[in-house]
Amino acid sequence: MNEVNKFIPTKDITLFRSCLVSAEYPGTEASTKYVFDKLGIEYVIDRNQSCCTGLGHYYDIFDELSTTALAARNFAHAIKNDHKQYVPMCATCYAILKNAALTLNTKDDVREEINESFRENGLEDLVYHKDDIDPVNNITHVVDILYALRDQLPKYKKRDLSGIKIATHHGCHYCKVHYNDTQGGVRDPEIVDQICEAMGLETIGWYDHKKLTCGCGFRQRYANRELSLETSKDKLESLYNEDADLLLVICPNCHLQFDRYEKVIQDETKHEKYMPVLNIAQFVALYMGADPYKTIGIQTHTVNVEPLLDKLGIEYEGVDDLHE
Amino acid sequence: MQVKRREMGGSKQDDLAHRILRDIKASSDLGLLRCVQCGMCASTCPAARHSDYDPRVVIKRVLDDDETILEDDDIWNCFYCYNCHSICPVGNSVCEVNQILRQMAIDKDTGKKQIESFMSFADSYIDEGLGIIPKEYHGQLHKDYGKHWGNLQENLEEVRESLELEDMHLYPEAKDEVGKTLEAIGFKKKVEEIKKVRDNYE
Repeated sequence: MNEVNKFIPTKDITLFRSCLVSAEYPGTEASTKYVFDKLGIEYVIDRNQSCCTGLGHYYDIFDELSTTALAARNFAHAIKNDHKQYVPMCATCYAILKNAALTLNTKDDVREEINESFRENGLEDLVYHKDDIDPVNNITHVVDILYALRDQLPKYKKRDLSGIKIATHHGCHYCKVHYNDTQGGVRDPEIVDQICEAMGLETIGWYDHKKLTCGCGFRQRYANRELSLETSKDKLESLYNEDADLLLVICPNCHLQFDRYEKVIQDETKHEKYMPVLNIAQFVALYMGADPYKTIGIQTHTVNVEPLLDKLGIEYEGVDDLHE
Repeated sequence: MQVKRREMGGSKQDDLAHRILRDIKASSDLGLLRCVQCGMCASTCPAARHSDYDPRVVIKRVLDDDETILEDDDIWNCFYCYNCHSICPVGNSVCEVNQILRQMAIDKDTGKKQIESFMSFADSYIDEGLGIIPKEYHGQLHKDYGKHWGNLQENLEEVRESLELEDMHLYPEAKDEVGKTLEAIGFKKKVEEIKKVRDNYE
């Protein structure tokens, strides 16, 4: 497997916030912060940053010009704030931002149209200059950083997470959109498996449908529910055949699809397999000793994570008011 | 298979394939005209596995300059998973072509009807600078996700506080600036046009 030549930042980072992380799996954000703090990574969160438009873009509501203009606005704030290394927690934010930077750098007419709209409307501060942001070296996913620093993870080990069958799902918009910049393989994605390996944990590796989408399909989950669930079922049945105890993801949209629909699908298929879902940052935080409720945020997951913690012999205290 | 002859190079043609290649969304190296109909895309496509959508046929119809594809419901089945994009031997991307076809359809009323049930996302973005799960679908989601999800929606602020996270909302001046950006780039006007079509059908 060829190593990808891209810069991996450890400072000057804006942790790019994701709508689905914020509202559905906020433990992913708290866990990412926890892990970054342990690793000595310097980052900020900026409440000037707006959503990347990703979900709306792939619902076909946001056209390319609007998405790119909003990215230019976000880029301007990151630059002004001296933290222009954008590090998203979501695969779609990652792909959208990279695409917008590429468009702004290479399509002069698009850049000019956006800049002119800024100038004509008193938004001069947002004007984008060619190559302000490098799509390869200024936009990296959290998983890129964890992968680059994976050999340091054992230094912070607080818990033994061995003895379970771990499966990984890699997020289409991390792996397949800008595939030349994908670390750990595209056709057989292994970046999360290799992070686990560095923590001394084996994964099940390849399984049937490993590179298949989670099934969300953006509009499909809502407007075409059956089509979406048929696809998720392919994936889950393959994971059940492997008897996976845990599924690791790198994107909140995949997280939502597997976690929130597992019961819906099982009601239909009569499977009874228990398989919780964690973001890789939550899993690394667990390994480093983070609190399951106060940092990892397992109370927002539909599939209870506690039975997995029991199996791992991890003690937890706290009240989960959401599952009643 | 009937493939129309196409002039190569130079002059700007107005057939569907060339309009797609000139679209703002198209990658500068999009290999649309190099498609040899090998079907690799169809072999890995989740929508093709479970519906009548066929990515190979989408490209054939585009290369045949078949404008009726813009009226075809099947183009709305693509998952945007980029499987086809990442494995195409000639650097084509049906996923990208599909996004452009849908935008072309949205310029007509047929496409507007397909996205009207997602418009609460646009409203949220205009007001808050944040994306949301479309409110139009919350009824089904409450059924699917159960009571826990409702509890989470009601207690989100407290949950975030217990995780020691900052307020998820943008600063007021940032919201304002997002609104101005959307006005300047013409997005707000487009949203109004889509809603007009919706209102006409209600």
